[in-house]
Amino acid sequence: AADKINLIPQDFFAELCEQIIQHLNHKIPGVDIAELCQRIQASGIEINVGDLAKIANVVSFLFSTAARNNLSTEELVSALGNAVTALPKQALHVIRHVWNEQGKSISLSEDARDMATVGQFIDMKWKLGVAMSSDTCRSLKYPYVTVTLKVADPSGQITDKSFEMTIPQFKNFFRQFKEMAAVLEMV
Amino acid sequence: MATLRDGEFAALQSLLKAPSKDAVRQLCQECFSSPPAGLGLLAQRACPGLAADPEEAEKLVSALHSLTRHIVYCGLTRAEDILSLFPENFHQNLKNLLTKIILENISAWRTEAQASQISLPRLVDMDWRVDIKTSSDSISRMAVPTCLLQLKIQEDVALCGNSPVVSALTVELSKETLDTMLEGLGRIRDQLSAVANK
Repeated sequence: AADKINLIPQDFFAELCEQIIQHLNHKIPGVDIAELCQRIQASGIEINVGDLAKIANVVSFLFSTAARNNLSTEELVSALGNAVTALPKQALHVIRHVWNEQGKSISLSEDARDMATVGQFIDMKWKLGVAMSSDTCRSLKYPYVTVTLKVADPSGQITDKSFEMTIPQFKNFFRQFKEMAAVLEMV
Repeated sequence: MATLRDGEFAALQSLLKAPSKDAVRQLCQECFSSPPAGLGLLAQRACPGLAADPEEAEKLVSALHSLTRHIVYCGLTRAEDILSLFPENFHQNLKNLLTKIILENISAWRTEAQASQISLPRLVDMDWRVDIKTSSDSISRMAVPTCLLQLKIQEDVALCGNSPVVSALTVELSKETLDTMLEGLGRIRDQLSAVANK
């Protein structure tokens, strides 16, 4: 991943580091890698989502370890300098700056949210559609619901998951959620 | 989808050699369900008794596939509409048998066509559980209710063929996020009622 970091322009890398620190501070639920990747690609850089995700994981691990050990900026920079694969100078500079500004504020506060072992649900978008016609049926008139769930996985990366439901499935879906809410009220 | 050509109807007459009505019924179902690419194999398997040579078998299977798919595409549901597709000199009994078989299967076939049309991945199952987080290595006591939801999502059937890929998405919801979800779902329900009333 170290060599891929070279590809990312400094300002984008700074943005990534900032978002990661904000996530570790529980200010944002996660880092939208796909969205950031799109913007980087739009500026002409060839990097794929997988590589960017790996870099984000590495930086996140770096910052959270440093926070847990209460490293000062100098300690962090010298630890990085001693690492087996050296980071490019630019990246090191950004990390040093971001850590200096915000590293101390990572409280790693004890919080129920820290124990996420599964994805955290963030948001839902929906669409109600009617399929009018297809190559197999000229006149369909088939209603369906499309839902996109925004989920932050345990490492903090945000992904979208989209799927379709038939109307009976949707009614069952809704019913189950009302039951869940009712149970949550009681405990 | 164009109607069948006369040559294709002629090929259907090979069905007269079928050992039984059930054999014809079975062949109709297999021909409808088979994708165009699978017709060759179907011809080899199904037709030793029905056709003099492989070429005749392929023509038969292809014609039956086209006929059944055409009828489902057009949404024909009445006997008269189906009967009128056949040319005048077509064997009467065979025509009536085929029409009967098609009418028996039409709604199942329509459902099959709907299920296999292109779509986003589909929800196939959902399970949930409500937990209370009571403690952890960093917090000794708490009572945080939380929902665990597992959705099983099947990727586009058209892409997966016979071995659909099902992925599981496990998500945690808090009371707040669950309320957000419920609000969104309530709006869908309202929209559905509004559309249904039109």
